[in-house]
Amino acid sequence: MQLKGDGIMDVAVDTPAKTFIQVAEIWVPEGETLVHGGGSYGDLGAFEAASRRESFAKGEGLPGKAWAEARPVVLKGFDGSYFKRTEAATEAGLTTAVAIPVFAGKALKAVLVVLCGDDANRTGAIEIWREADGLLMLDDGYYGAAKHFEWVSQHTHFPAGQGLPGGVWASETPMLMRDLGSGYRFIRADSAGKAGLTTGLGVPIPVPGENTFVLTLLSARGTPIARRFELWDARAAKVGKDGGAALVDGICAREGALWDPENAGNERRAEAWQGSIGKVLGSGLPVVESGKPGLAAGYSSMVALPIYLGGELAHIVAWYV
Amino acid sequence: MTEKLVVIGAGMASGRMLENLFEIAPDAFDVTLFNAEPRGNYNRIMLSPVLSGEKSYEEIVTHDAAWYEAHGVTCRFGERVTAIDRSRKVVIAPNGEVPYDKLVLGTGSSAFIIPCPGHDLPGVVAFRDLEDTTAMLEASSGQGAKAVVIGGGLLGLEAAAALRLRGMEVTVLHLAGHLMERQLDESAGYLLQKDLEKRGITVLTKASTKAIQGEGKVEKVVLEDGTVLEADIVVMAVGIRPAVSVAAEAGLEMGRAVKVDAQMRTSDPDIFAVGECVEFNGQLFGLVAPLYDQAKVLAKTLTGEEEAFTPKELSTKLKVTGCDLFSAGDFAEGEGREDIVFRDPARGVYKRLVIEGEKLVGAVMYGDTADSNWFFGLIKDGTDVEEMRETLIFGPAFQGGGSVDPMAAVAALPADAEICGCNGVCKGQIIEAIEGGATTLGQIKATTKASASCGTCTGLVEQVMAVTLGDGFELPKAVNICGCTDLSHEDVRRLIKSKELKSQPAVWQELGWKTVNGCHVCRPAVNFYLLADWPLDYADDPQSRFINERVHANIQKDGTYSVVPRMFGGMCTPDELIAVAEAARKFGGTLHVTGGQRVDILGIRKEDLPAIWADLNAAGLVSGHAYSKGLRTVKTCVGTNFCRFGTQDSTGLGIKLEQKLWGSWTPHKVKLAVTGCPRNCAEATCKDIGVVCVDSGYQIGVGGAAGMDVKETERLVDVKTEEEVIEWTTAFLQLYREHGKYLDRPYKWLAKVGLDWVKEVLADADERAALNDRFEVSQSVYRKDPWAELAKPEPAKSFLPIADLTQEAAE
Repeated sequence: MQLKGDGIMDVAVDTPAKTFIQVAEIWVPEGETLVHGGGSYGDLGAFEAASRRESFAKGEGLPGKAWAEARPVVLKGFDGSYFKRTEAATEAGLTTAVAIPVFAGKALKAVLVVLCGDDANRTGAIEIWREADGLLMLDDGYYGAAKHFEWVSQHTHFPAGQGLPGGVWASETPMLMRDLGSGYRFIRADSAGKAGLTTGLGVPIPVPGENTFVLTLLSARGTPIARRFELWDARAAKVGKDGGAALVDGICAREGALWDPENAGNERRAEAWQGSIGKVLGSGLPVVESGKPGLAAGYSSMVALPIYLGGELAHIVAWYV
Repeated sequence: MTEKLVVIGAGMASGRMLENLFEIAPDAFDVTLFNAEPRGNYNRIMLSPVLSGEKSYEEIVTHDAAWYEAHGVTCRFGERVTAIDRSRKVVIAPNGEVPYDKLVLGTGSSAFIIPCPGHDLPGVVAFRDLEDTTAMLEASSGQGAKAVVIGGGLLGLEAAAALRLRGMEVTVLHLAGHLMERQLDESAGYLLQKDLEKRGITVLTKASTKAIQGEGKVEKVVLEDGTVLEADIVVMAVGIRPAVSVAAEAGLEMGRAVKVDAQMRTSDPDIFAVGECVEFNGQLFGLVAPLYDQAKVLAKTLTGEEEAFTPKELSTKLKVTGCDLFSAGDFAEGEGREDIVFRDPARGVYKRLVIEGEKLVGAVMYGDTADSNWFFGLIKDGTDVEEMRETLIFGPAFQGGGSVDPMAAVAALPADAEICGCNGVCKGQIIEAIEGGATTLGQIKATTKASASCGTCTGLVEQVMAVTLGDGFELPKAVNICGCTDLSHEDVRRLIKSKELKSQPAVWQELGWKTVNGCHVCRPAVNFYLLADWPLDYADDPQSRFINERVHANIQKDGTYSVVPRMFGGMCTPDELIAVAEAARKFGGTLHVTGGQRVDILGIRKEDLPAIWADLNAAGLVSGHAYSKGLRTVKTCVGTNFCRFGTQDSTGLGIKLEQKLWGSWTPHKVKLAVTGCPRNCAEATCKDIGVVCVDSGYQIGVGGAAGMDVKETERLVDVKTEEEVIEWTTAFLQLYREHGKYLDRPYKWLAKVGLDWVKEVLADADERAALNDRFEVSQSVYRKDPWAELAKPEPAKSFLPIADLTQEAAE
């Protein structure tokens, strides 16, 4: 099937632009400590060097806190906080960090940390939604310049099945929404439209215990979180017990839609250790790559996040800039 | 020479035909394409993710302006063709005529709108094209927040899930008993409904729309049963019908759609048709796969190549994120067909394969569709599966299935999970007792009281012991209900309550039944347990009953039936007795006075049952339930009214008891008697419940028997007043209904749970009151005459000599 249309550019803009997320890094447990497991730092070499020297005990620093408390953590403003790399971060202009733990059942596989700079021109949203009394409420989030949207989000809740967070929660599946700004009953959607937010990636973040978390990444045209999003299904119930993953949805500023209904059941596959997605399948860990040839559609960096359900690798979401 | 090809309709079928045509013969035709929609070809089946926001319209455009231009197609979009003049070979449209050498009809279909009152109100939308999608988007983004979707098929459910994502409160109305009944069986339909309900969507099955109401726009939907649902929009997704008016008016040969041959040629050799507007060999087409096959055939036909269309097996997938289902082939039950069923309740997985002879003919899967393409291939190709029958369900890799482990569920229970409801004993307490040295069930009973009362949790306690003691404990082999399950009656009763299972498909799936619908052994039991525990949620299933209960009469050895009207307390009026006699005479019956103080009309033919019931109803008589696992009779003596020895009004009390208890279903039949003095003329001391009147009040005995076993009742309690008799008797009956194993008479049940436990429970006035309350809730449904229902014209048809064999019960 041939897919065209300038409208795709609305949801993932392929023009040189500042990105919303400036740093993505992986921390992996080694005994009782989290050690550096790779990252993408752009031109923030000093912060990268400081990070590569770092490690975190359980409960220590931001990654250690996400591990100890078994929940995603948003930290805005590093001065006087438990953040361990405050000086290097400040020099790099980074002001906010979000730590996302990756648990397989009770076992921590890794912590993904993304960092953003405070910039009046950077718009986007990284949100953590938490279930309370049968509804998803905003636990915390970072919005850059989208202040009104931040306020609206703080006063919004989602029942199961409604909106991106509620849809992800109810289906226990990552979802990729286009055109966030229109066609929804939520006041939040109007505000999203005004803030220029277009594409939304929602991801379940399973943690040990009773808590339910959903992570949403909302990307704006001017300062996108990514120019390419991919959703891979790795459940045995979908791809069989031999493993691998199937590309079930995605959108790319360079290649257009990454799905094809006429190919259902025969989607693009990734096998363990084959490419970046294969690396996630093989290792079970998140992957951050940058400056490496061979990334999809010629992008310069990518983040791939595994999602476990019932202790088994179920989905992989990836985003590219 | 380039021929003129005119195509009416820029849908998916004609679009694919053009792609194929341009590939085979890029310059053979000068193409003009009409489309009533103001746009070209887009992937219509992806409209639901556009509606949900998971895709954008731009992503589903198949042919954009550049494509049409590159292929030299003259586009007449937004222009509805009004006529075809076959004599002049021109197509007539508002902006002018176009001559053709060859004409292709791809006019598709339109939504079927239920012609109920209010169907034309603003706010009633179909779900066929981008305009409908836009209308729904506008409705969902407005102040109105409630959507009612009529139709629980593929399209309706995709619309429902999408509107829910958009933030609406959504109710799905579906006429059949389970969702997507054409593609799914009951078990898969149950799982799908559960998944949709998890998304906050309300699903009402067996829901028939009576009217849509509103002032100037949709405001509510009224159902046949009187339910009223508020609605800001109503989405009609009940089906499609071919859009063929232009073809019909042009005089082409029509069936339900435009008739074509295997080359897609209509009755006019220069006019062809493709897609949903086509009828081939009496068959219509709605799914995309055969449409694409037709497109390929037509492209070849147009270029003079030989090709013939053959309809193939179809498969179904639902585009609701997180709902994984697959259906293909024919999965109806039938003679010579064998089912292979796999369920994994914990993962919500259900797989069913239907084999006929040596071939796989149908497959239904929910929750695990990994091997669906492989199974589909086996169905399409008619592969001989005899050699792999044993492992077929596990897919191409013979991965090994992993059966459901009931122990795993027990192991996963938290320490504070209640195991013994009677005595409030938690799992943690049992584990403590085990760790303290209790290693047998008797020791656990002695130390914790767990399973020391009604005993229904015994299996669970044993499983906790097995999990805790490991090899140190040998789990007694539980007696399973039948080959369909490894669970015992007690387990099933307990799990129906604790897991809140309220339908048969829920029981089959959540308890990992090995068969599709149970069997003649388990279905009647499960039917009873469900109606006893969830009287308001579960509707009695006559197909799960034995013949006598299903037809509300007792079949006799010559195939005729006996009809026994109820005589409350053994009393009747002269007119009632005359009515019984007249009915017997009219229908050739024989009269017999029963031991339960009633008159039995024997020898009634099945087809006469509704008529005799109607006659008896007219005289005020109702069913005596002489055939039921339920309350049978309350036998009385004449008591103080007539008898010199009577101590109380035993007849009056018997009538009151029967009037309260009649119609109730129980694990087995229940017979009562009230006798006016210890001389026991009513033989109360060998009944399931017997009341003996004495000078000081009433002695209530329970657990008597006078059948294969003969047993005297044991005293439950002595009370002073009639009200107390009724309260205690009702409480006892309800306790038996809630705990008894199906087909255990009360005396057998008492032997298991112990009369002491029953006495202890019923001694609590609050508990007695609660049991009475629950009984009344159940009786609000069941205290009614089944004859009156079945004597009505429509149900009465089922008693005609030619039976509907598809509705035969599980026997």
